[in-house]
Amino acid sequence: MNDRSPRRPATFRLDNPDVVVTEADETSRLGRATIQITPEHDPQTLPVPIETALPARRGFRWGALFWSGLAGLTLLGVGLGVTHLIEDLFARSESLGFVGLALAFVTTLALVVMTGREALGLARLATIEKLHRRAADVLASDDHKESRAIVQDLIAIAHQNPQLARARAALKSHTSEIIDGADMIRLAERELMSPLDAEARRLVSSAAQRVSIVTAVSPRALFDVLFVFVASLRLIRQLARLYGGRPGALGMIRLLRHVIAHLAITGGLAASDGLVQQMLGHGIAAKLSQRLGEGMLNGLLTARLGLAAIDVTRPLPFAALPPPKLSDLATDLLRRKEDEE
Amino acid sequence: MAFSFQDMVEEARLSARALIDYGEHFFNPTVRLGVTGLSRAGKTVFITALIHGLTRGGRFPVFEAYASGRIARAQLAPQPDDAVPRFSYESHLRALIEERRWPSSTVDISELRLVIDYQRPNGADRTLTLDIVDYPGEWLLDLPLLQKSFEQWSSESLALSREAPRAHLAADWHAHLATLKPEAREDEQATLTAAKLFTQYLRACRDERFAMSLLPPGRFLMPGSLADTPALTFAPLDVPIGGQAPDGSLWAMMVRRYEAYKDVVVRPFFRDHFARLDRQIVLADALSAFNSGPEALHDLEAALSGILDCFNIGRSTFFSSMFRPRIDRILFAATKADHLHHSSHDRLEAVLRRAVTRAVARADDTGAEIDVVALAAVRATREAQVAHGRDKLPSILGTPAAGESANGEFFDGNTEVATFPGDLPDNPEPLFNGTDAFRGLSTQAAEKSDFRFLRFRPPKLERESDSEPTLPHIRLDRALQFLIGDKLA
Repeated sequence: MNDRSPRRPATFRLDNPDVVVTEADETSRLGRATIQITPEHDPQTLPVPIETALPARRGFRWGALFWSGLAGLTLLGVGLGVTHLIEDLFARSESLGFVGLALAFVTTLALVVMTGREALGLARLATIEKLHRRAADVLASDDHKESRAIVQDLIAIAHQNPQLARARAALKSHTSEIIDGADMIRLAERELMSPLDAEARRLVSSAAQRVSIVTAVSPRALFDVLFVFVASLRLIRQLARLYGGRPGALGMIRLLRHVIAHLAITGGLAASDGLVQQMLGHGIAAKLSQRLGEGMLNGLLTARLGLAAIDVTRPLPFAALPPPKLSDLATDLLRRKEDEE
Repeated sequence: MAFSFQDMVEEARLSARALIDYGEHFFNPTVRLGVTGLSRAGKTVFITALIHGLTRGGRFPVFEAYASGRIARAQLAPQPDDAVPRFSYESHLRALIEERRWPSSTVDISELRLVIDYQRPNGADRTLTLDIVDYPGEWLLDLPLLQKSFEQWSSESLALSREAPRAHLAADWHAHLATLKPEAREDEQATLTAAKLFTQYLRACRDERFAMSLLPPGRFLMPGSLADTPALTFAPLDVPIGGQAPDGSLWAMMVRRYEAYKDVVVRPFFRDHFARLDRQIVLADALSAFNSGPEALHDLEAALSGILDCFNIGRSTFFSSMFRPRIDRILFAATKADHLHHSSHDRLEAVLRRAVTRAVARADDTGAEIDVVALAAVRATREAQVAHGRDKLPSILGTPAAGESANGEFFDGNTEVATFPGDLPDNPEPLFNGTDAFRGLSTQAAEKSDFRFLRFRPPKLERESDSEPTLPHIRLDRALQFLIGDKLA
């Protein structure tokens, strides 16, 4: 703890007249001679939130089998078609045949590389999700060894981000010290995640802002929908990249599913998160102009989606740092808007 | 030690037993949990708290199967061995909750079976049987004797008894020993006296001021039904290792009785209770060693590593689980963590980790999983900050047991106190180097020692309605998760 000489053991009776027992939040000034005892709140008796896992999927996955079979058949059909095509080309002229063959090779090669990338991207996403779960477990169990393993994995994932070089070095120097498992995770979160969180917040609020402006001025509802969709996809991809994932097309689908699922679960929370107040409070703006109100609502919804995406793509749960709140982002959004107007 | 015929018979017996168990467990999965610990480490309290928590509903947020609600119920069941007394859980619990005293020292072996009905995460209903054995911690010290001859044990015991804090406790016995001639005719009276003096010396070492751990043979301290039998009437002699005892001599008689002790006492104990364990928790009370001094800490280290050498540790394989079960998870637990502020728990863990380094290294090689945890099966204290002058001391609040003393003041068992037990060092290494690493009761008066861990009474529990109160604990859930969590997955 420090370099001072170790402190001597000491014992005080509570019924000693010099001893004063005070509550934790009381800050009374007492004389030097008195001994002040402040009982601490017991971390063990505080309620521990336990995430209940949904019941695991049971039985044989017929759906997966169906899709695999269908994909196999399609692939065979396409292969057959291409073979026929090349045969026909050869029958017509040899040079045409070779061109066709070369094109087929190039296509196959590209397909293989793309598949490989997708697979890598998915694996990386899975690693990050698993890391998130493991970190949440350690926060509960305070496991010393596991926390070190998580920090190692985290450093490996963060390795591609040059901004975090110093944070990584600082974290590495802490791993051998005596720090409780859960505290180690919190430390890692503070060191590695805070610059990323700031960036993520900026991304979300700028996306929300863009959406709200475009929907406020766009002439047709169809454009609104299209723009919101594209902007959301872009936002999710940016966030995933920021936190270390590299999603491809399949990865994006997977992420989108998770984000929407997360949004559905936490949707109830959103109401208490200040969305309602925000909407009511700025209902006046909507009264003044219907377009402005729609733009605001779309912006808020995008921000909400961005927050869900942060929760899904972030490799550590929010423990030491406060999670960004919709109300913060909404104020950002409104302030900027009002500045512009 | 040469591989004798007797050892082969013993191995065959163990394998046969294991095979029978394997057949039974095939239909009814059973985990034999070894609760190991020297005397006063808190085995009985640990078992009581574990059973109470599982059957009556404790607060186990980290024990996943329990916290997520997958354990439907846990109940006590008739135990499998008919010759072993039942662990008297109810009376221990009454002592803890109603009388607010710790269960008295265990004098004989006892056993209990807990049946846990649970649902696997995929939905299938299963049952897990947990067999728990309690026994006097002193007996554990006998296990290393299985590997030692009488001469070897004699010379080790003598060497140990001539070290600093033990020497003057052993003075009487040493004086008597000097009058004995190993080669002389066997002499029952001299042997009786020697055994009596040797036992007195062992008892003296166990006093709180010295808190020695390494005191074999254990039955001398806790004889059970074997008191005064020849198997318990012997003592070390000053004889050379590898020497041959002349026929009819005192030496030969001692050797015979020592071997009888191993046959009658140690081997059956090992065979019935240790050779068949699946999981093990090793409880160690490092705090009383801190109270006493560096010698006690050394002793604890030596005792723990001696015991751990006797276990069959390693990753379970199909073959091993049929013929020779192995312990594939070991948890080292520094008990009585509630006697320290939680900010020091990591340091306590570091001390224990250092004390079992050798055992940990060996277990790591064999692929068994190892963990170290500071726990309190029943938490007797609360935490507080004490501002005294300019110092802020992270302290604990509790009621010391009657007869405990601090600052020259004796407590009556009803006064609540706040106590700061002293700072454990960041780095445990210096504690284990040399005999003057810190000052304890064995060499100093109480006011000068560096650590003072008081013994506290069990906590006062408030009953809500008519249900039994839950016992507070520190990290008992983490211990459970490590020990049986994977069996419930």
